[in-house]
Amino acid sequence: MSGFRRVLLLEWSGLALAILIGCAALAIFTPNFLTEFNIYVTLRSFCVALLVGFAQMVTLGVGQMNIAVGALGGLVAIVFGGVMETYGVPIALAVPLALVVGALGGLINGILTVRTGINGFIITLATASAFTGINFGITESIPFYKMPPALVAFGEQRIGAFPYLLVAPIIVTAFLAVFFSRTVLGRQLLAYGGNPQAAELSGIPRERAIVMAHVISGTLAASAAVLAVAQLGSAQPSIGTDWLLLSFAAPIIGGAALTGGYISVLGTTFAVILIALIENGMVLANVDPYWVQFLLGALILAAVGLNRWRAIAARSG
Amino acid sequence: MVLAIEGVSKTFPGVRALEDVSLDVNSGEIHALMGENGAGKSTLIKIITGVHRPDTGRILLDGNPATFATPRAALAAGIGAVHQERNLIPRFSVGENILLERLPTKNALVDYSTIDREARRYLAMLDRSIDTRLEVRALSVAQMQIVEIAKALSLEAKILLMDEPTASITEHETAALFTLLRKLRADGVAIVFVSHKLEEVFAIADRVTVLRDGKNVAIGGPMAAMTRQKLVSLMIGRDERIAKLTERNPDRSATVLEARGLATSFGHHDVSFLLHRGEILGLYGLVGAGRSELVRAIIGDGRIIRGELFVREKPARIADMHAALTQYRIGYISEDRKQEGLILMHSVKTNVAVTIWGRIANALGLITKAAESRAITPFVERLEIRTPSLDQAVGNLSGGNQQKVSIAKWLAANVDILIVDEPTVGIDVKTKAYLHELLSEIARGGVSVLLISSDMPEMVALADRILVMHGFRLVGEVANDHRYESVSKAIMSRIHAVEDEPVAVE
Repeated sequence: MSGFRRVLLLEWSGLALAILIGCAALAIFTPNFLTEFNIYVTLRSFCVALLVGFAQMVTLGVGQMNIAVGALGGLVAIVFGGVMETYGVPIALAVPLALVVGALGGLINGILTVRTGINGFIITLATASAFTGINFGITESIPFYKMPPALVAFGEQRIGAFPYLLVAPIIVTAFLAVFFSRTVLGRQLLAYGGNPQAAELSGIPRERAIVMAHVISGTLAASAAVLAVAQLGSAQPSIGTDWLLLSFAAPIIGGAALTGGYISVLGTTFAVILIALIENGMVLANVDPYWVQFLLGALILAAVGLNRWRAIAARSG
Repeated sequence: MVLAIEGVSKTFPGVRALEDVSLDVNSGEIHALMGENGAGKSTLIKIITGVHRPDTGRILLDGNPATFATPRAALAAGIGAVHQERNLIPRFSVGENILLERLPTKNALVDYSTIDREARRYLAMLDRSIDTRLEVRALSVAQMQIVEIAKALSLEAKILLMDEPTASITEHETAALFTLLRKLRADGVAIVFVSHKLEEVFAIADRVTVLRDGKNVAIGGPMAAMTRQKLVSLMIGRDERIAKLTERNPDRSATVLEARGLATSFGHHDVSFLLHRGEILGLYGLVGAGRSELVRAIIGDGRIIRGELFVREKPARIADMHAALTQYRIGYISEDRKQEGLILMHSVKTNVAVTIWGRIANALGLITKAAESRAITPFVERLEIRTPSLDQAVGNLSGGNQQKVSIAKWLAANVDILIVDEPTVGIDVKTKAYLHELLSEIARGGVSVLLISSDMPEMVALADRILVMHGFRLVGEVANDHRYESVSKAIMSRIHAVEDEPVAVE
């Protein structure tokens, strides 16, 4: 087996390579790429995207899907912005409240899934519509603009090229890495995703695995929403409308098994970095942003194709 | 000579599966292909049926070299096979599965009445009770196996390869299958028969080819000249361990599990039994007798409608397997190892530790790699689980080692009661003997074992007492003195005594 082939067999190796090549190309061809401000902008867009990717990754791990990631994010964003603007709730209270709303949304998804026996895909498709309905019903599509200055500042400030916002995804990434590799619940979720029947017959409670995955997914979607509000400086009802494709793209490009049982925190992180690079590259090159969607699609196919090749190559030597 | 394999070799990554292997089969004979798990039997079958291609060597059909690029090409050449893995489509009917490659049509539409008629014709040769219109997923494992065999028969192939066709069916059905194979032999069909059950091979085969570690150790010698001892020593390279297990003394004064007049949502009624400490209680019955369903109802996967269940003499209502493990200290090993027993894509470590994560987590609630290894290594070593590392995916282990992982998981969890359903299906002679000694040793250590098995010699070797189930009720109990003839006769007489009775209607 050649050295190159062996590197390709490593997970996320392709991603790391693509990121390196992408960075090098951008640095050579677009003089603005390596400026402090451009790195800051790229990292800023990375923050929300990573949390969105994680929100889907958790449900994929247990063999479920959460179509309501974006809809729940939108609802949380306007609740978060709404209570601060309308009732003057302080940030320190509004943030936990937002996370609780996200967790509750996930709880509803999870409980409906286990109690009805209906596929989680269908349940979250339905609740997604319901969450969006509540969102636009309350706001009539009008954003909340008067956000606390401290929140807006948090969304804008930076140390050198590093936005303050980056703190949240760093904490969440560390938490998830430990959660899935080291905690009882995290291991049980993955075991359930790997083979639901075997896991259940080994004493892992089915309902807890599915419900907890949805609760964590909802909470992560909520954290993405809070970050999005801070980043935009206003609570837009449209937050989350473009999350769905991204939420699947990141974990899948990162090597997650669609059937459950395998996810990669590091792979998902690399995937989001790559996506942020592509978006940034397109902006710098003055390409219509809609082409980002096209490239994302191509990237998903390439990633899944590489995984498939890896599975075959591992078998045939 | 209708089929000849000459000097075939095949290498997979890291494994020399076959090395210069030969086999020749005549029409009108049943040729046994024997060997332990991993000896290369299934690989050879897959090469003959076009699933794998040989690295070197050749296949001759009626003396002419043949190469099969795909399974379909082998089928077209008149080679039918029952593979070890299931190849049925769960959502399709039994009839459609049997006739899958050539669904009959009428006016361009699939003709279901012809499917039913044709499928029933083949199915009836083995078992008349399976409805051809049922979806396959509604069948039991044994019934699926029957459908697989019927599917192979329906090809009317001149060469029929059977890879452990009897692994999950009862003696009764095996007898029907053998009658049929003898008839096919008389019609001139060449049959290659793989089985781990030596009794079967001696009962039916004309000649035998033995593989060990991917090489021939015997090529087509007459079965009549073979003894049981000689065959086993050819397969494992040394003499068979005597199935006489170490004496056990179950504590009859302590009852750990008791059922009183149980009726379940599966249709059991009036089921009562006692399981003592350190006892192996056998539960024998023909397919469809309701053995697996009974234990599934006990562990909460199915409802108990009437009657009482006691665990360690206290009334018990077991909600699910989680409760069974944590509150009642009961472990359960399903008959379907791959689907229900193991997380094949995950490591040995995960599969053994899955029951004990809660216990080995540290004060912060975290499971360290070291704690996990420390907790499971003694069991991996004690059970001689052969794996390159604890991080190896369980799906890559042999069947015997997979079953050891299933057992290790419950030993690690330190259960009092272990329910095992068909623990040695598809497992080679040596590992099987090892597993028998292991289960016996576990019972000697004070664990009570409820053993479901369709393998009569296994039942007679292992159980202290044998409950006989038929038609979802218990029809008798047989004290086991480990004498095969008398015990098996006693069991079958209990079943035959009730077989002709009208079924009680509630």
